[in-house]
Amino acid sequence: MNEAFLLGNGAIALGLLEGGCQVLTSYPGTPSSEILPEAVRLIRSEKLNTYAEWSTNEKVAFDNAYAAAISGKRAACCMKQVGLNVAADSLMSAAYLGTTGALVVISCDDPGPHSSQTEQDTRLMARLAKVPVLDPSTPQEARKMAALALDLSEKFQIPVILRPAIRVCHARQNFRWDPLKDPGKRAAFKKDPTRWAATPRFRYLLHQRLNETLLKVSERFSQLEGVNAHTLAENKKYPLGIIAGGVPHAVIRDILDENHRTDIPVLKLGAPYPFPEKLAFRFVRACNNVLVLEETDTLIEYLLGDRKKVLGRLSGHVPMAGELTPRVIARTLQRVQTELGVEPIALSEDQDVHELVEGLHLPVRKPTLCPGCPHRAAFFAIRKVQPKALFTSDIGCYTLGLNLGGVDTCLDMGAGITLASGFFQAYLQDGVHQPVVATMGDSTFFHSGTAGLMNAVYNDARFILVLLDNQTTAMTGMQPTPALGVRADGRMGKSISLERIVAGCGVDFIEVVDPYDIQAMTALLKKAEAYVTSPKGGIAVVIARHACVIAYRETAIPEKKPVAVTDKCDACGFCHQRFECPALVEDPEGGTTAVNRSLCADCGVCIQVCPKGAIVAA
Amino acid sequence: METINFILSGLGGQGILFLSKVLARCALNKGFPVLGAETHGMAQRGGSVIAHLRLGNVKGSLVQEGTARFLLSLEENEAYRNLPFLAKEAFLYADASPEAFPKAGVKPYFKKRGITARALPVGRIALDLGAPLAANSGLLGFFAAFSDGPFLQAEIRETLESLSPDAFKALNLKVFDTCLEKGQKSG
Repeated sequence: MNEAFLLGNGAIALGLLEGGCQVLTSYPGTPSSEILPEAVRLIRSEKLNTYAEWSTNEKVAFDNAYAAAISGKRAACCMKQVGLNVAADSLMSAAYLGTTGALVVISCDDPGPHSSQTEQDTRLMARLAKVPVLDPSTPQEARKMAALALDLSEKFQIPVILRPAIRVCHARQNFRWDPLKDPGKRAAFKKDPTRWAATPRFRYLLHQRLNETLLKVSERFSQLEGVNAHTLAENKKYPLGIIAGGVPHAVIRDILDENHRTDIPVLKLGAPYPFPEKLAFRFVRACNNVLVLEETDTLIEYLLGDRKKVLGRLSGHVPMAGELTPRVIARTLQRVQTELGVEPIALSEDQDVHELVEGLHLPVRKPTLCPGCPHRAAFFAIRKVQPKALFTSDIGCYTLGLNLGGVDTCLDMGAGITLASGFFQAYLQDGVHQPVVATMGDSTFFHSGTAGLMNAVYNDARFILVLLDNQTTAMTGMQPTPALGVRADGRMGKSISLERIVAGCGVDFIEVVDPYDIQAMTALLKKAEAYVTSPKGGIAVVIARHACVIAYRETAIPEKKPVAVTDKCDACGFCHQRFECPALVEDPEGGTTAVNRSLCADCGVCIQVCPKGAIVAA
Repeated sequence: METINFILSGLGGQGILFLSKVLARCALNKGFPVLGAETHGMAQRGGSVIAHLRLGNVKGSLVQEGTARFLLSLEENEAYRNLPFLAKEAFLYADASPEAFPKAGVKPYFKKRGITARALPVGRIALDLGAPLAANSGLLGFFAAFSDGPFLQAEIRETLESLSPDAFKALNLKVFDTCLEKGQKSG
């Protein structure tokens, strides 16, 4: 028997391997990033033969896992909710074609949002694609559902989505498990072009078959013990019942238990689509009113359809945005109970404390680039050379360049380049040559940079693209990139050169610089600017290459340069505005700059930043 | 059993997750069911970081406001920010100077709710001992000094020792012991 205090994502990895998953692929993204590394750890310690890969993006991850799933194996791909947008093309088609083995798509939602550009609800994506979805409430349940999803997928020959929300992914619980075994199933793809390469005529037939499958799954979901279950007593009528799934179910269960409220029945829908109609309608019949608690959208509420009895987001009782925290749910329940004349629960929170805390005017903490971060140096140089440019950027740590005034846009993965070309063309149409500087990280460039760059080159857009190459996927927890060539299990693959890809996209100006050397970087940016604006020029790509100081703690700063602030500092504030290093702090008395020794990384870059020469080597 | 809720707060990079891991392991060793919630991703980069730890038979990983028995904060302002979590009769431990913490404006609230606030500059002490990153071990020692919680001092110390990486074991324990002693003297 093994034991560990695992993250929810570790529990999911465990459940997948217990369910006989043979192929596992992923592109990192909060809150999904730890599933693959946790699986790799288990694969190693349990000496399994399971294949695990970091794929270059979510669509690539989906397709690679899908190939195994139509070769009779059990496979899974993991991503964050907005990653499923990237893989949506594959998902919609795979729903029609189905599987012969199993495919579980794990798409982790981020109600809040805490680390995402949207709060979108993966369950609605399941409805759109017409595939079943499971919605765990706790890490323990996520483990069971991961294995259940593999079973369901293989039985009904359809991809199944597992949708854990961030509070499941990043919860921690203790787990025990028996030794894991390899399922030993061998790849056996049976050629059948009418199915695997179906033309539209066959797609119609496949769609009909998909609809039949969903009816069968819906039947099964009405009797899925423990996953979809109610607490109704026989032949009893209730003034108020609650339907909840996912994390809100865990929260409302705790609240009702703590308040000893056995008078309120709960229907748990851990498998909400295809909708378990028989079960749900029986529950609704027994209650005069039903409160629906689900994250983050209105899947259950839409599928219930009954506007007279159902209270939720559409009736204005549940907030339309944001996480359903215990506080929000407790207040919602209390309000609904009061409205219906049911005895309300007592709130545990103190009514005055928020006013008290607000009155303290606590500092607003915004995320910042780390001390020593090479991106900070790069953004400083970019702003210095091109103060009037539009700054299009992308998803990663470097989005935080907005604190330095170096980021004007952040749309989605790859848009640093595509918005740059779009802005350029929109201005050029009016006869204006608008300077644009795009920034994008190395991992993001591999994920979705090339199509946009080829398009920009082909259509003769002009801008500077700075590839911020810190040789890791930093924001999501330091996963390797294809440029390193290190694979998910630590083995070496083939490393891919950024320079060669950029050249392959048709770019003729490609230069590499260490952003720590601000003088060299500004000189190079000026050269790039001249190239971009010259009639014979084109897109200039500057690769700002310096290792992440967190991922490469020992080597990223080979020459430590401790700094000190002299009395030349006249409190002008330039370093705070333009460099924004957490280790450079403002003296509360005179406003001069001081160095926080416990935060400083000794990179010494700020020596080049101070216009008064007040920051010197110590 | 009655649920015991902890809130651990501070800033990104201060080692909140490690602090949470040590307390969770203490609880597991004593046979408590444990559920924790952590901060990862964008929020970790220098922003406010909070970890929830729940001992008992619960399903949700988040502590509800007004129900935390213990708040341990590695930063003074982050202690104030998380006051809404505190239950009546709760205990609060902050990395702050005991002369300046809590602020005068907060004292009546603590009195009203029966909250005990304890402060020690554990970060400063860790820095003086040459271990600026061991402030979390210091706060743990300060927490252990009063035995307000469900763990014995020795249990916390042994768990810290077993979970600390070899390279930091000696320093972590030194900071722990120093803050434990200072806590006992102050109490």
